[in-house]
Amino acid sequence: MAEHNEHAGHEHGAPTGFIRKYIFSLDHKVIGLQYYFLALASVFIGMLLSLLMRIHLIWPTAHIPLMGEIKPEMYLTLLTMHGTFMVFFVLTTAPQSGFGNYFLPIQIGAPDMAFPVLNMLSFWTTFVAFLVMIAAFFVEGGAPLHGWTGYAPLSAIPSAGPGETLGADLWIISIAIFCIASLMGALNFITTILDLRCKGMSLMRMPLTCWAWFITAILGLLAFGVLLSAGILLLADRNLGTSFFVPGGLVVNGTQIQHKGGSPLLWQHLFWFFGHPEVYIAILPGMGVASQLLSTFSRKPIFGYKAMVYAIVGIGVLGFFVWGHHMFMSGMSPYSAFAFSLMTMAIGVPSAIKTFNWLGTIWRGRVQFDSPMLFAVGFVSLFVSGGLSGPFLAQPLLDIYLHDTFFVVAHFHLIMGVAAIFGIFAATYYWFPKMFGRMMNEPMAQAHFWLTLIGTYAIFMPMHYEGMAARPRRYSQLTEVAWLQHLMPVEKFVTYAAFITIAAQFIFVFNLFWSMFKGQRATDNPWHSTTLEWTTATPPVHDNFGCKTPVVYHGPYEYSVPGAPNDYVMQTDPTPHGGHVPKEDKPLEAE
Amino acid sequence: MEMTERHQHGEHAEGKATYFYVWGALIVLTVVEIYLAYNRVFPNPLHMLEVLLALSVVKSVLIIGWFMHLKGETIVMKWVLMGSLVMCLLLMFVFFVDAERILKLGTGR
Amino acid sequence: MADAVVHHPSEAGAFEPPFLGAYSKKIGMWLFLLSDSLTFGALLFAYSYGRIATTNWPTPFGQHSIINASVMTACLLSSSVTMVLAVLAAGRHDRPWARNWLIATMIFGTAFIVLHAWEWNGLRAEGMTLSIFPAIPHAEATEMGKQASAVPQFAGTFFALTGMHMLHVTIGVIYLGVLAFGRKWLPVMALAAIGTFFIPAWSTFHWLTYPIIGAIVVIGIILWLKPKQYDAPDIEVGGLYWHFVDLVWMFIFPLVYLMSTRIT
Ligand code: HEM
Ligand SMILES: [Cu+2]
Repeated sequence: MAEHNEHAGHEHGAPTGFIRKYIFSLDHKVIGLQYYFLALASVFIGMLLSLLMRIHLIWPTAHIPLMGEIKPEMYLTLLTMHGTFMVFFVLTTAPQSGFGNYFLPIQIGAPDMAFPVLNMLSFWTTFVAFLVMIAAFFVEGGAPLHGWTGYAPLSAIPSAGPGETLGADLWIISIAIFCIASLMGALNFITTILDLRCKGMSLMRMPLTCWAWFITAILGLLAFGVLLSAGILLLADRNLGTSFFVPGGLVVNGTQIQHKGGSPLLWQHLFWFFGHPEVYIAILPGMGVASQLLSTFSRKPIFGYKAMVYAIVGIGVLGFFVWGHHMFMSGMSPYSAFAFSLMTMAIGVPSAIKTFNWLGTIWRGRVQFDSPMLFAVGFVSLFVSGGLSGPFLAQPLLDIYLHDTFFVVAHFHLIMGVAAIFGIFAATYYWFPKMFGRMMNEPMAQAHFWLTLIGTYAIFMPMHYEGMAARPRRYSQLTEVAWLQHLMPVEKFVTYAAFITIAAQFIFVFNLFWSMFKGQRATDNPWHSTTLEWTTATPPVHDNFGCKTPVVYHGPYEYSVPGAPNDYVMQTDPTPHGGHVPKEDKPLEAE
Repeated sequence: MEMTERHQHGEHAEGKATYFYVWGALIVLTVVEIYLAYNRVFPNPLHMLEVLLALSVVKSVLIIGWFMHLKGETIVMKWVLMGSLVMCLLLMFVFFVDAERILKLGTGR
Repeated sequence: MADAVVHHPSEAGAFEPPFLGAYSKKIGMWLFLLSDSLTFGALLFAYSYGRIATTNWPTPFGQHSIINASVMTACLLSSSVTMVLAVLAAGRHDRPWARNWLIATMIFGTAFIVLHAWEWNGLRAEGMTLSIFPAIPHAEATEMGKQASAVPQFAGTFFALTGMHMLHVTIGVIYLGVLAFGRKWLPVMALAAIGTFFIPAWSTFHWLTYPIIGAIVVIGIILWLKPKQYDAPDIEVGGLYWHFVDLVWMFIFPLVYLMSTRIT
């Protein structure tokens, strides 16, 4: 701290004044937290919407305060906005833009991101996208009903239903703004990693978290541009009278549509060209965090560091070749379907490499089940459970039956939704001490973990069976459908499980804010990790390392090093076996 | 900062003349394109498309290589940038399989 | 090096050598262009998709259109040369000439925009238009307009592609203006916005007001947070963007114009 004060008047010093410090801050740490809290707000919106959906599914005529009875259109609105908030504003925002922004520069020894102003702009652009998305709820007709995938022609024709008028326009505009924001973020991440690694931090010494953020950023850079142009075209179809996605001769609600000549398949191609990389954008950062935590809390080097890196890269590359597996039922050419099916199964290989390396890492380790570790293990568990259904869906013949049933809902919730959320939780419990200087409350964290793990499995596992029993996806009232009656007990069970799981999340939020002010004070390196963020002050000063740049001598996961007095070797330790005892590693005195 | 110095010496050594040659070549290629298209030298639109696109690719190589100085950058940079771009664009050709099918659907062909 | 470290020249050796061998801003711009090429790429693929899937695609562009578009192409190509000269001058630390060449580039760019918007007005007057576009007073559809409107996709793709490109050129001119004049460029833009605003609302020129106002806001924020004198690397990076806009036109011109020629 003292060092930092010397530089107070220096250009590199922290800015003063509330606005420059907390609103339009250029500090990557503040921006990371801004993203994190934006995601936190979004996850609550998304969760509320899902709760309403679950209630509607078992009590379709229930009277909801302020909303009344949920009509079928309303159900689709809830579904659309739930998916949109969760995918874009939670799974894309928190793991990558939130934690990535905060810890990527620190972990590679940089004072900030490569382009701080751009960084600030990308947060505020995201925020504008968020506001526009929220506005869609309040306009005439309400929010759109076309699902997070925005399939045309439903999304392209304003008269197709309530919410498809102004609400859908706002939805598309918000997504387009979000694309621009993500592009800015992605190029910033990539440049930072390429150019701002401190001396000694070669690419192959980067923590796997950084590798994951790096590849995620590349995916974002290449994918969001395509979604942007799809959004522009859709907007043109709706408002300019063009017809990219609307076929001729369409009759909607009894009137014939003027458009002709477009093709809905084109939308699906453009959307999923972005969409499949997007699911990896959501999950890769979680994989990075899981790798880091499994190694740290098993006190063992990560099993097969290089294989892990190649697997991340492989997933990133292959991820661009498989988008067609979402379109097996769309009337796509069966030849492309065959190719996409093969590529999709190929992507299982790097995924399996990662899974086995995680298991190899914990194998015979001195595993410490602190809350971050629990969530990391939970991540692996969910990734496996969700991933196993992937190869089934990847086969056109099976998918013809399973597509658009709850089987798919179960698949992507486990693997993308809940697994990525577990990654976020793990990262929060792990890095909280560094971000706020205090520990999170451990008993509350453990309770939160067990309730959430059991709760989410209880919600999503039964959905596989429902799907196989042909329970369709995106349908509102099934209570009256005769051939689905035998599923009603399962539906009820799922809704009760959702109640409990959502309630458990309040433990987390309470813990988060309570610990921020009342938690036990943290040391600089409470988990005895080796990476650079644990060498800084707690919380890190404005330019992270106090006007000096660290030098790195070791790979990221040197645990249980024979002969090392601490059993681990910090990356910055100049001695080969870690004789150097970091002096910061003792409790801070309370002021 | 040193980086900027080095690159100023390395890349711009070519001098102005080169840029005018490149510009001339681009203009000539454009004139050829206009001539070909306007006189329908290739009656089959597909041939025309292929020729025009080939010429455009040559033009973009000139622009990217000389005007944007990619020629003077490192090998890694060339491969990373152009490789990912070309891969993604090539992938999109998959779309066309379906565009053609639309014409044939329901016609028994 | 990157903005973040630029204040610590003594620390330049504290980092690993940059992976791609160029300074950060340049990498950043290249990455942006990479993703922007995919945006344009996707648009062009969407256009080609529609064209393949549609029988009887019209080819209405006659001599007049082709000449106009060729002049526009020449403007852009020439602006690329003046841009390179600006970069060279900036590299020699010759600020006045760097600025002069930037101005020349901007003039070519503006000429492109004017010709293009004027062409749009003409096409719309001839009847090749979109339902949302306001009608042009005293306009009467011509043979060309009727041909073009036979397939609604034609006008749709034309306006979407060229409009997106025109937006990029407009942003490019504004960007170069910031590089050349810094803060003093803001009032000029404000004047331009007022000027275009008073052009009748049916005219394509009127619509330029909105991107300009948007740009004023964003540039205002950036200059407020990070006031600086733009130097040689900044101009080189701006040049990259400008050449890219030129590059995209090298695909739009043959695909959208030349492939739609009619011989009169
Ligand atoms: C072993 C690897 C995987 C395979 C083989 C696989 C396969 C598939 C297939 C074939 C579908 C389409 C099902 C249908 O709509 O009928 C699908 C849907 C989906 N997958 Fe995966 N997947 C894998 C991993 C992942 C991962 C890692 C994520 C996310 C992080 C993910 C997220 C999704 C999502 C979100 C959907 C549904 C999208 C929608 O239609 O709304 N998948 N998966
Ligand atoms: Cu997929």
